[in-house]
Amino acid sequence: MSQIITKSSLLRLADKWLAEQKRVIGPRSAPSGQVLYAEVEDAAELSLAGYIRPANSIKDYIFPRHEKLYSYKINGRNIELIDAELSTVEQVFIGARPCDAAAMPILDRIFNWDCSDDFFNRRRELSTIITFACKEHDDYCFCTSVNSGPEDSRGSDVILFEIDDEKYEVRSLTDKGKKLFDGNTEESDKISSVGPGPEICFDLKKIKQFLDEGFESPLWKKISLGCIGCGVCTYTCPTCHCFDIVDEGNSSGGERVRNWDSCQFSMFTKHASGHNPRSSSSQRGRQRIYHKFQIYPEKFGKLLCTGCGNCSRDCPVSSGVKSVLQAVQKSIMENG
Amino acid sequence: MLRKLQNTCRQLLLEGKVDVVIGYGQADSESPTHPVFITDAKDVKKLVWNDKCLINLVTYLKRPEIKSLGKSAIVAKGCDERAIVVLEKESQLERDSVFVIGMACAGVGQPLLPKCKVCDAHMPQVADIIIGSVENPSVDADTRYAELKSFLKKSPEERHKHWVKECRRCLKCYACRQTCPMCYCERCIVDVNQPQYIDSSASTKGNFAWHITRAFHLAGRCVGCDECTRVCPVGIDLRLLNMSIAKSAEQNFEFRAGVDPDAKPIIGSYSEQDREDFIR
Repeated sequence: MSQIITKSSLLRLADKWLAEQKRVIGPRSAPSGQVLYAEVEDAAELSLAGYIRPANSIKDYIFPRHEKLYSYKINGRNIELIDAELSTVEQVFIGARPCDAAAMPILDRIFNWDCSDDFFNRRRELSTIITFACKEHDDYCFCTSVNSGPEDSRGSDVILFEIDDEKYEVRSLTDKGKKLFDGNTEESDKISSVGPGPEICFDLKKIKQFLDEGFESPLWKKISLGCIGCGVCTYTCPTCHCFDIVDEGNSSGGERVRNWDSCQFSMFTKHASGHNPRSSSSQRGRQRIYHKFQIYPEKFGKLLCTGCGNCSRDCPVSSGVKSVLQAVQKSIMENG
Repeated sequence: MLRKLQNTCRQLLLEGKVDVVIGYGQADSESPTHPVFITDAKDVKKLVWNDKCLINLVTYLKRPEIKSLGKSAIVAKGCDERAIVVLEKESQLERDSVFVIGMACAGVGQPLLPKCKVCDAHMPQVADIIIGSVENPSVDADTRYAELKSFLKKSPEERHKHWVKECRRCLKCYACRQTCPMCYCERCIVDVNQPQYIDSSASTKGNFAWHITRAFHLAGRCVGCDECTRVCPVGIDLRLLNMSIAKSAEQNFEFRAGVDPDAKPIIGSYSEQDREDFIR
């Protein structure tokens, strides 16, 4: 037996959460036609079908691109520090993809490694993630190549499987998730399934071997020629998490804020001395791959990539992790 | 056209006239195109030409990684080519240092990009060789700025609300800057941090500061290739901002960036006859 919910009941539930002052975040069509995760004011704004995955990721609402850490007032020699208040708003993600949700436990490790990040942790605690398992994929998806897949449950509180246009099977994975759906589902003998997922497009073992020895490979220069040096891949990635801390204000006070930063920007590693250890775009492109497939895995035992494909899907020049690792794989095949 | 393009590039490489050809490649006919950098005549087969050739490749002429490859030939549509004209005017490149392969183009994108619907550059003008032939329509200014005109019908309050909403989505990924052939500053004003002139935050205030600065720095320079709009991951219609500034340049100075190779750039030149009655 399975638990099911109709699409209209799900939307009614979302409206109920909104009425309870919860923040509801889900896929919504932007005026440009792109589907983006966004906060909605009415469940009718959600577009729950007809997209592969949004162009951004749910990370935006757990680790926002701009966040106040504290504010300060300067009065002569007196400096007063005022703590920023932590979020108190419960938030429900509806229609996250498995590749978004799976990024959450990956980010948990980062934000609780050498210190515990209150801002991040509070948002995580206040979040419930309702994931839609994937029936379809596009040419950019490569979850199956990075130990994930269309029904990866990591990070999800609930997974919904589409039975048909009107119904979802509900599988609650955590108490938090169960609480949201209790009393709102029906028993059914209908069984749902997911799509087969994308074909595996590179061999992780071979990639790892290459990375172990290939730091100085001329390949990095070749495959980065087309990179224009923007931050799209990192900012739309569910797992990229680098940030910069800056003060914004004037001589009487201001705020210390944390903003997203990108390893693809030439300023990212620029030292105060003027020296830049990653002064070329090939060094920066290489860094992103090493961080995801060697540095993070060596430290935390998992990949820093869920195969969502946003890095290629959103890339102005159609590059990204998939095409880079395919090029690596091709070079291994050709050169042994 | 494709065969002629490939043959031209093969010749250029074989004769040593150029060291690299910057063109479009494609994994298969369904995929979007991507830039390719051909240095070996044997690889010209990788070049494609079709209505998915959206990228304005001129942006690569400013990149040190590409400059280091030597003299380049570049595949350019009529609209892209205008960026070369501006770069030359601004002393960013020697016209002789690049071989321009102009492609006759009746429009790209499926559906057709908005810029293509009002394009009057189907045929390249300054290219060293033009491949293909297509009629060059004449488009009047009213048609060119029709989208802007309908936007300007809204009240200032509504327009402000529109931009607040748009800028709220901005991630500050700077794809708009990086893809722009005209954004060639070695250090962009937003990256200057001693002192910090512009908030680096992707807050509404910081995003406004960025987009207004970006648009103003492109006054009389933007050629309307719309790459900033195409690459924006959150779909901000920067085209409207660019158009507004281009319209000012055309109305007040009879100037369109990159259109007339002999015209003096309006920001880089001075004339006592310059109008100033619109400055308030």
